[in-house]
Amino acid sequence: MKLRVQLQCKNLHEYLKELSPEILDRLYNHPATCLAVYRELPPLAKNYVMRMLFLDQPLPQAAVALWVKKDSEKDHDQCVSVLSGLRLWHSQQLQGGLQGNILNPVFKDNLRIALLGGGKSWADQGDSLGPDRHARDVESLDKYALERWEVVLHFMVGCPSAAVSQDLSQLLIQAGLMRTEAGDAPCITSAGFQFLLLDTASQLWYFTLQYLNTAQTRGMDLVEILSFLFQLSFSTLGRHLREFGLVFQRKRKSRRYYPTRLAITLSAGVSANSSSTAMGATPGTGDSGFIVVETNYRLYAYTNSELQIALVALFSECLYRFPNVVVAQVTRESVQQAIANGITAQQILHFLRTRAHPVMLKQNPVLPPTITDQIRLWELERDRLQFSEGVLYNQFLSQADFEVLRDRAQGLGCLVWQNVAHRVIVVSPQGHGEVKRFWKRQKSHT
Amino acid sequence: MMMASEDEVSLLVIVVDVNPIWWGQQANREPQFTLSKCLDAVMVMGNSHLVMTRTNKLAIIASHCQESHFLYPCKLWKFGDGHGDENASTSGDGKYELLSVANDFIAEEIKNLMSRTEVKGNQTDTLLAGSLAKALCYIHRVAKELEAGQEMKSRILVVKAAEDCALQYMNFMNVIFAAQKQACDITGGLYLKIPQKIALAQYLLWVFLPDSDQRSQLVLPPPVHVDYRAACFCHRNLIEIGYVCSVCLSIFCNFSPICTTCETAFKIPLPQVVKSKKKKLKPST
Repeated sequence: MKLRVQLQCKNLHEYLKELSPEILDRLYNHPATCLAVYRELPPLAKNYVMRMLFLDQPLPQAAVALWVKKDSEKDHDQCVSVLSGLRLWHSQQLQGGLQGNILNPVFKDNLRIALLGGGKSWADQGDSLGPDRHARDVESLDKYALERWEVVLHFMVGCPSAAVSQDLSQLLIQAGLMRTEAGDAPCITSAGFQFLLLDTASQLWYFTLQYLNTAQTRGMDLVEILSFLFQLSFSTLGRHLREFGLVFQRKRKSRRYYPTRLAITLSAGVSANSSSTAMGATPGTGDSGFIVVETNYRLYAYTNSELQIALVALFSECLYRFPNVVVAQVTRESVQQAIANGITAQQILHFLRTRAHPVMLKQNPVLPPTITDQIRLWELERDRLQFSEGVLYNQFLSQADFEVLRDRAQGLGCLVWQNVAHRVIVVSPQGHGEVKRFWKRQKSHT
Repeated sequence: MMMASEDEVSLLVIVVDVNPIWWGQQANREPQFTLSKCLDAVMVMGNSHLVMTRTNKLAIIASHCQESHFLYPCKLWKFGDGHGDENASTSGDGKYELLSVANDFIAEEIKNLMSRTEVKGNQTDTLLAGSLAKALCYIHRVAKELEAGQEMKSRILVVKAAEDCALQYMNFMNVIFAAQKQACDITGGLYLKIPQKIALAQYLLWVFLPDSDQRSQLVLPPPVHVDYRAACFCHRNLIEIGYVCSVCLSIFCNFSPICTTCETAFKIPLPQVVKSKKKKLKPST
């Protein structure tokens, strides 16, 4: 049976924890990174950092433990572990011999700069570009960003009209989202299916992490890339017309580029819960969700976007198509087909919930319970049978032979199944060699 | 651990007392802590609040003798975004850009405010009740303009310099009761008299930066023991038994036919005339 690989979407902190201490310290050299990391801390930890930001001496650990009330000690411990894991604070011995905590000095200085000023400007060569003759406004930026992202997703689904650069398709293959066989065009994997159903922010983040992982092999400096990304995510939309340029067009040599909403939600899109960031719900639909699910398993998707229709068709049967609506039916076959491709029921439900029409959002729960239960049941149906390989031993001449062999197999731990009435046992392939040898020895004795 | 979701907006309104007469006198008393230092500390507090979460919002109101003026945000900006003038130059240093725009604007506004207001008289009190009322109206407006599905928590921080003004008592009480209807946790407020004014920024960050969720987890200065005995309005003596006007709730030690605060007339209570009861003679059996 095929093993289903679950798509792992790490968040910022988990990713940073895996980096080596030297890289982390270099990373904290930029105010934008410090801000991004700070924003992702749990609220209590943020308060701790703020309190220690303007102190130059370490605080005794015992004193810090007294900051919280008695009921919140668990939260305190969690904060301590998060802050230490990210190397935001160090232990240092105080004069009296007690253990103290002090903020990582690089992090402290740069967060102070972000908050109060001083230090270097975030963007280099900003003023030398002169006034922008081809200024773009916010809406055209949004549209551009959405179009580009949709092209990538279209390519994954396999629409022939979508074409992406060689680099990008290589990246998709390395990320495990697509695979290529012997010179054919790349086709999507089960991980890729799961990726498609995620919300945009998570997709972005996963993609960026994969890119960062390959960056080192390409000889690019991880620290520079990360700092650049964080910087972009903090820039005000549309404001840095003189300083930045388009994000997703690294190919062109132009020095001008504009941070798009996608880049800005990068920093915000880290938490798994974000569903309504500045992005809105999803690309291609404007602001809000567009799917209505009824209790008779009918699905109405008010969209024109080819991509969205293709995504809906992944797990349902399309019945009718109108200029602005697609009517589909969620059936057992369509859902089980999707599950055979590696998508889980949870992802289908998440997809429906995040793209639910505002009318649906008014009811509680958002999706009808009949639908959610039924989709999960269809998924479980596939798990009723479990296949394991084995070797069958039958036609024993006597009960005693059968029992001897069965006990031996059981002793070795490779007995998969037995039927005493018919004198049949099934042994696992690994144990088969040993059991066969034992049986041969047995026969030669008697 | 409970984490605030992306959809929760936390609004902090800071009301700063900028009475020029008091601050002018203060400059003679303690030259190292002036109005600009106080405003620096307030800006640090505001910056820290904005940096904490992407959805946090900030407003700063300056409370002057004759007006209350919004130092931030500007009326012309798209609400809450702090973008302002597209041509405004960037900070040129490592400060987060949103903050440098905000801080420059606040500095500009306070300079304009102080230079254009003509100060008459010698009062060292400010229109605090009016500023609080403006803060409440602003909070209400922000609450109305939220997107669908967003919730909002709001709080007001008052940085007070000069002494209280008795004339504003009634307005003050009205504002408090209006706020109580808007925000149920009004009694969850914190009061702190700052022993060392120079360390204002540190006090603000330690005590007032956490929002109401986090306050329940942290240990904060205990409430100052308040002497709940009332002071009478006529003599300012602390009294335990007195007369209370039923209209405006102001307290007097002696009865007066007209309440001096709200000018309602009351009838003088005469002692009750006890009607003598005619005893019925018991019928003799």
